[in-house]
Amino acid sequence: MSLFSTGLSGLSAAQVALQTTSTNISNVYTPGYNRQITQLGETSPSGGGVQVNDIERQFNQYIASQLNEATSRSSALQAYDTQVSQLDNLLADGEAGLAPLMQNFFSSLEDLSGAPSDPAARQGLIGSADTLTAQFRAFDSYLDDMQSGINGQIRDEVTQINNTTDQLAKLNRQISLTQAKTGDIPNNLLNQRDHLVADLSERMDVKLSIQDGGTYNLTMANGQPLVAGNRSYSLEAVASSSDPTRTVVAYNDPGGSQIELGESTFEGGTLGGLMTFRSETLDKTQSQVGQMALALAEGFNEQHRAGQDLNGAQGQDFFAIGSPSVFSNEKNASDASFSAEFSDFSAVTTSDYRIKYESGDFVVSRAGSKQPLDPQPAVETDADGNKTLSFDGMTLTLDESAGAIAEGDTFLIQPTKNLAGQLENVIHDTSKIAASAHVKVTPSLQTGSTLAASSVKVEEGFALPASDIVMTVSNADNAAGTFTLSHDAPTGSEVLVNGEVPADPANVQLSTGDTLSINGVSMTFSGKPIDGDTLTLSSDPSSGDNRNALALQNLQHGGLVEGKASLSEAYASLVSDVGNRTNVVQANLSAQSVLTEQLTAVQQSESGVNLDEEAANLIRFQQFYQANAKVIQTGSTLLDTILGIR
Amino acid sequence: MRISTVTMFESSLSSMNRQQSAFLDVGQQLATGRRVVNPSDDPQAASRAVSVSQSMAVSQQYADARVTARNALSQEESVLNSVGDAISSAKTLMVQAGNGTLSDADRSAIASELRGIYESLLGQANTTNGNGDYLFGGVKDNASPFVKQDGKVVYQGADSVRAQQVDSSRRMPVGDSGLEVFSGVHAGSDYVAEATTAADSTLTFTGPSVRDASADGFGESYTLTFTDSTTFSITDRLGNEVLNDTYTAGEPIEFKGMSITLEGEPKQDDVIEMAKGQDQSVFATLENALAALEAPADTSAKRADLSNTLSSVSRQLDNSLDNVLTVRASVGARLNELDVLDTVGGNRTLNYESTLSELVDLDYASAISDYTLRQVGLQASQKTFVDMRGMSLFEML
Repeated sequence: MSLFSTGLSGLSAAQVALQTTSTNISNVYTPGYNRQITQLGETSPSGGGVQVNDIERQFNQYIASQLNEATSRSSALQAYDTQVSQLDNLLADGEAGLAPLMQNFFSSLEDLSGAPSDPAARQGLIGSADTLTAQFRAFDSYLDDMQSGINGQIRDEVTQINNTTDQLAKLNRQISLTQAKTGDIPNNLLNQRDHLVADLSERMDVKLSIQDGGTYNLTMANGQPLVAGNRSYSLEAVASSSDPTRTVVAYNDPGGSQIELGESTFEGGTLGGLMTFRSETLDKTQSQVGQMALALAEGFNEQHRAGQDLNGAQGQDFFAIGSPSVFSNEKNASDASFSAEFSDFSAVTTSDYRIKYESGDFVVSRAGSKQPLDPQPAVETDADGNKTLSFDGMTLTLDESAGAIAEGDTFLIQPTKNLAGQLENVIHDTSKIAASAHVKVTPSLQTGSTLAASSVKVEEGFALPASDIVMTVSNADNAAGTFTLSHDAPTGSEVLVNGEVPADPANVQLSTGDTLSINGVSMTFSGKPIDGDTLTLSSDPSSGDNRNALALQNLQHGGLVEGKASLSEAYASLVSDVGNRTNVVQANLSAQSVLTEQLTAVQQSESGVNLDEEAANLIRFQQFYQANAKVIQTGSTLLDTILGIR
Repeated sequence: MRISTVTMFESSLSSMNRQQSAFLDVGQQLATGRRVVNPSDDPQAASRAVSVSQSMAVSQQYADARVTARNALSQEESVLNSVGDAISSAKTLMVQAGNGTLSDADRSAIASELRGIYESLLGQANTTNGNGDYLFGGVKDNASPFVKQDGKVVYQGADSVRAQQVDSSRRMPVGDSGLEVFSGVHAGSDYVAEATTAADSTLTFTGPSVRDASADGFGESYTLTFTDSTTFSITDRLGNEVLNDTYTAGEPIEFKGMSITLEGEPKQDDVIEMAKGQDQSVFATLENALAALEAPADTSAKRADLSNTLSSVSRQLDNSLDNVLTVRASVGARLNELDVLDTVGGNRTLNYESTLSELVDLDYASAISDYTLRQVGLQASQKTFVDMRGMSLFEML
């Protein structure tokens, strides 16, 4: 081989090497770019020259997969963190949150009990109830906005995912076509394809498998294919069949049918983060706020109904609150539906329930854990012949007027999720506030009798007599100071003598000085009775009485929420739940970020461009070029020398 | 290890970001003065802070209730003070009126003075507070509790009074019903005797006075009846005879631990009733006195009636005054209790405040040193970044 052709092969190799180096330099900041190395080899079969064997892409599939997995997890946590931080900030405001407004509400009840007939105090209570309920509604509407925000984000993510899988399928095709046509591996297309896989990993968790011939196949975590060769299968954001307000992801399978994917299918990527946040934190928070609203409304109403308002009438409901939401699955074969009512607010939990009709039985399970209730509620029949189910403070009535229930029908019950948004105070007339609970005893005595009932008062957990209770004296024995008192209180009334249940509650044996209590209304007897004396116990509205206001005020200590926690305790646990979750997510995120950063560094150390290195290469290949040019020059000089011999 | 240019920039950028966010966190803590800004900063402390602030709010409610209660009780106390004064003046007038040398005209002058006291007492009994609520109406405080019907004052208020939650386990009555103040007698009240005599009887009584309060049967009511003009019998509430004796004018009759002295000439069926602790409206007492003083006392029998009425009235006024003083003492005790509860409540609030502060407030000393540390860290990472920028082989070419 001549010096010329050897030098020439060197020159062209140097040019290629310089070209590769400049490609590397120009793409130093291009995302998804993998650096290239010019692989040189001796010319064959006759050696001496140099040839470019390959422009090798520095890409490690193993590290790339690891990195993708880490990014997937990071971006899930990132999405979760962005959302949960909003809740965290919402609860951070110690001055305007729910807790101080509840405190204001109860302190305006204190003002009311100080001046029960004062219109200003009454107006103050209505005002603070307005503010409190408005804040509950605002809180709920903020959470609702987050729900619909997540619905929108899921839709966006799904669109992006579909674009990406579509492009991946096209790239698969292009790469195999190019390879078939030119026999060369198109490095830029490979880079693009790997970059798209990384992109997709940020949005959801996918599994990559590489087929013979280098085709990329992608599947979802549950094994269903997203990209197979040059075909892609699209996802779709649809309204959930069990809850139309909720956007979920459905999969359009190769057979052409659509399958709704469970939220647990998605763990990684932004999509997974959003879904996990929604089911793990947002739903729970909304249910907890709803449960607090329910406990406040029903607990307050119950006590308010026990009192008398300024007009002497029995108290009415103070707050209005909705009922549990029930959704019939849209895939149900029948049009049967359930209606739900609260039967015992203190037994209502924050969990959602799923009812499935299976071989003639209703199976009730918790929606989150999917654990069937144990024991299962018994199916009963109400007065109208409808089937009812009662569990956890709710009564559900089956309505089959539009069609008998069919096998496999499912229903979703959300007891408290939508309640906070419906909380409203319905009393706006100051005179309708039932602050008093007062009773009186009217004696009608035989001549000479000195019987008197004193210290008539209502105690904790009282019930005012709906109609007058007449008590008649018999068997009066003044020497022993005993007598029998028969009364006509409704059967089932709680009758106590000195705090103990008497032998015969309808005809109680009493001595002077004893205290009789009927449904929490107590009185102490003195004087000497004569047979035939009667005492009438009746409700006696009094503008200056504050006993019901005190009882209402006391509700702030009571176990209203699930029968065990007070309202402020429930709020505290909400704060601690959200705080803890945010805390955990932030800790996980920062750990995962470090891991991802490390993996990125590893990946970059293999595939990234180092400008110093390229600068050195530039000099090296420049010299390489110059040296080869020198070889040609030398060859020429040699030739000239030969030609110069005359 | 081979480092790519991107990694160099990114890692120093991300460390700068980290430093910056830590720096801002401390800055935010310093600006708000709180260690726990968001619940996630310390979930346990944040949720405990909710509970503690609830306890503080409740404690404030009790403090507010104590203010209301103190106002009501102070006002009641001042009214009771005037009521006591009025009853004392009425008593003085009774002593004056007992002077046998007074003419009918003199007595009528005393009567008109007494009427003035009567009316002013009625006014006191119907006092209203700043809200227009009647102080002595019990829980029926929206209408005058003491109303004149047919020249007599009757009570139309309630016998129960409002209570306020002044501490976690103390519900304090913030008043006393009119019945208790103006019609009640306290447990240790004196015996009151009332005479019902024939038109021409000149029987008068003095007493009854206590000889032996531990005697069997002391405290019960007794009726002394003249079976004829010289003999009398004393029976108890159930009609059992306790004593049957011959009447001697001026000689004390002793029975069941007490004694009563009778004078004048009794007639058959003259009755003297003696009872203890019977509730008697101070208005009814004064009405009796007024009726007696305004009637002419021209015969010795009428003078005897007058004297008897004045004796009864004096005793009843004594009892009423004692009762008002007792109620006043109980009001005073409640006011004292409020002071004690204020001190206790104040301490408790202080405790809550310091707990709350420990939970969520910032320790400035450590925060400021942290702040400086973060500042140095941030500056260092910025410096690294700037230095790295210039470190390129291309710069040397």
